[in-house]
Amino acid sequence: MDTVAALLALSGAAMILVACIGLLRLPDLYTRMHACTKPATLGVSLIVAAVAIHVGELGITARAVLIVLFFLLTAPVAAHRLTHAAYRAGVPRCPSTVRDDLDDPDLLL
Amino acid sequence: MIPFAGNLVLAGVWAAALGEFSLTNLVAGFGLGFAILAIAPQQSSERYSRKVLRSVEFAAFFIGQLVIASFRVTADIVTPAQRARPGIVAVPLDAETDIEITMLANVISLTPGSISLDVSADRRTLFVHVMFLDDVATCRREIKDGFERRILELLR
Amino acid sequence: MTSTVIDLATQGALGLLALALAAAFVRLAIGPSLADRVAALEVMASTTVAAALLYAMRTGLGVFIDISMAVALVSFLGTVALSFAIEHGEPK
Repeated sequence: MDTVAALLALSGAAMILVACIGLLRLPDLYTRMHACTKPATLGVSLIVAAVAIHVGELGITARAVLIVLFFLLTAPVAAHRLTHAAYRAGVPRCPSTVRDDLDDPDLLL
Repeated sequence: MIPFAGNLVLAGVWAAALGEFSLTNLVAGFGLGFAILAIAPQQSSERYSRKVLRSVEFAAFFIGQLVIASFRVTADIVTPAQRARPGIVAVPLDAETDIEITMLANVISLTPGSISLDVSADRRTLFVHVMFLDDVATCRREIKDGFERRILELLR
Repeated sequence: MTSTVIDLATQGALGLLALALAAAFVRLAIGPSLADRVAALEVMASTTVAAALLYAMRTGLGVFIDISMAVALVSFLGTVALSFAIEHGEPK
């Protein structure tokens, strides 16, 4: 049991590290937001699972599950608000962008 | 929602009967309560059991997609060559109500290389930022068949 | 009360998180746009949540789980408020 928890904790931390490296390496804000939401959420969820397995008390496990639920609810909302605002504010897209269906002023609210 | 509350009460009763509110007891109680509610001759029990199974299936699908998405993004970050071909794609929506569109947009943001960016003023089109855009038709089909269909089945 | 495996693993994981915080801090410092900085702050908040959880695992203190919940809540509100500022608040 301890080994499983240890592996989960390490892989979760590695996931978050990957998200932060992606934040540095990816070419523009929009792709960076991909790195922000997916690996970071998965990383926190893995660490929460590690805590739940290791501690195994109902009170702590319930709160840990609550944290995961909260992350799953808020991370996409925050990512959506931020990319939406950045697009409106005219943050440039990287040159390798292949297609933009939103690039039409009539479509903006 | 009411059958679900009943199921939770049954789980609590089971844990109380065993005298220990541990996680195992609550989960076992929930399973037992679910079995009872599925068998019991209620009007809505049939639909309730199907809905729970469908929710479980959706949760499993969602977690699988989250892991796949994370590893695709991870692979692009860690390898030296940048293979990202980002693009913004318009996806026509079948979802109509607020809750359907919100759920779809949230789920899309967490799954395969896509973030929901905007909804058109007439609420017919969802604009999605995709990280690995190889083929627009495939990308639209993945979102419509994979996520929208499942979410509509779950909510309607 | 913690075993050596858990002790070593949480220590290693906390080390990885320290590296992650450093990487995110570089992005926070160089920008280039305000939205990039907000994204960096959001990831730093996730990292803090993870670190608090690991600390809860190391020490067995449930308080650190409450701390990570509070950080998760506040960082979400901060991101939404800053997005609002990016969209509406900057003078043209």
